[in-house]
Amino acid sequence: MNRKFLALLPLLAFVLICVFLYQGLFANPRELQTGRIGQAMPSFNLPDLMQDDKRWQQTDLQGEVYLLNVWGTWCPTCLAELGYLTQLREQGVKIVGLYYVQSYDSDFDGPFDMDSLREEVSTMLSRAGDPYQFNILDLERTLALDLGVSGAPETFLVDSNGTILLHHTGDINPRVWRAKFAPIMQELTP
Amino acid sequence: MKYLFIGLVLLFSFAVSAEQDRYVFANDEQAKRFGELTKELRCPKCQNQNIADSDAVVAKDLRDKVIVLVKEGKSKDEVIEYMIDRYGYFVHYEPPVTPATLILWVLPILIVIIGFGFIVIRQRKAAIKQNWNDQDEELLAKLIAQNQRQEQK
Repeated sequence: MNRKFLALLPLLAFVLICVFLYQGLFANPRELQTGRIGQAMPSFNLPDLMQDDKRWQQTDLQGEVYLLNVWGTWCPTCLAELGYLTQLREQGVKIVGLYYVQSYDSDFDGPFDMDSLREEVSTMLSRAGDPYQFNILDLERTLALDLGVSGAPETFLVDSNGTILLHHTGDINPRVWRAKFAPIMQELTP
Repeated sequence: MKYLFIGLVLLFSFAVSAEQDRYVFANDEQAKRFGELTKELRCPKCQNQNIADSDAVVAKDLRDKVIVLVKEGKSKDEVIEYMIDRYGYFVHYEPPVTPATLILWVLPILIVIIGFGFIVIRQRKAAIKQNWNDQDEELLAKLIAQNQRQEQK
């Protein structure tokens, strides 16, 4: 009996390793970035994307549940999700854009060309849908770094106290919305 | 050919010195800390590279932040904690000991202990089986004697 069991041991180990590795095939390695969940929105003071004199702070956002959507015109996946986000806006979801400038470096690139960026943004939003209440411009990506953003698109779900409840990497589509966002939204707005 | 080789060597040595000049630190200790940190911190975008190797925008941002923090005199642990606060444990190549990662730390030790335990138990069993008595001794002596006689023939 004992001997038979010992003979089966390698097979057993093999099966266990197979199960472990098989699971790995379907795991999403990008799900792991959860540095800021459960914490307060970090403080910031950043300009509006479209208006020269307007600035936004984290206190301006408090009091309502909102999505903070990190995006840029350079990012094709962001373009793809604009349509669905616009639908969500029509359903009453408040969406704030955090405009992530891909590769601007104040030390090397000289003055930033604001006008051409605004033109690009308006063209894209008028074509694909505009889900945003307003857009915050994060030129040097300081708020992005404080939030643990690794690229675009990424979306944060923030409650009315300013606590970050969810950090989603990748686009938002009906499936992602149903699985990840809708259950939390339902709890927040009964 | 020889000059071409020398030229190539000079070309590459310039490239290296230029690369190092990009980051100027107050002392060698800070420069060393920066080097260590950029090798230990993982790029959140291209996941199998550290932030020293990666060309992703976020890796460059993290490098710049590490420079700022190191220049402020922050220790290595403080910088790592700053990054973990924002990007999660994921951003550091050395996983912390938590209930979820405990298996990574315990399993190798467990396997070694089980392995040695297995060997010890086997040897003990083998030792018990060897109950050598006088009869066996006689038999052995007889066999040796027989064998020697055969050889002499």
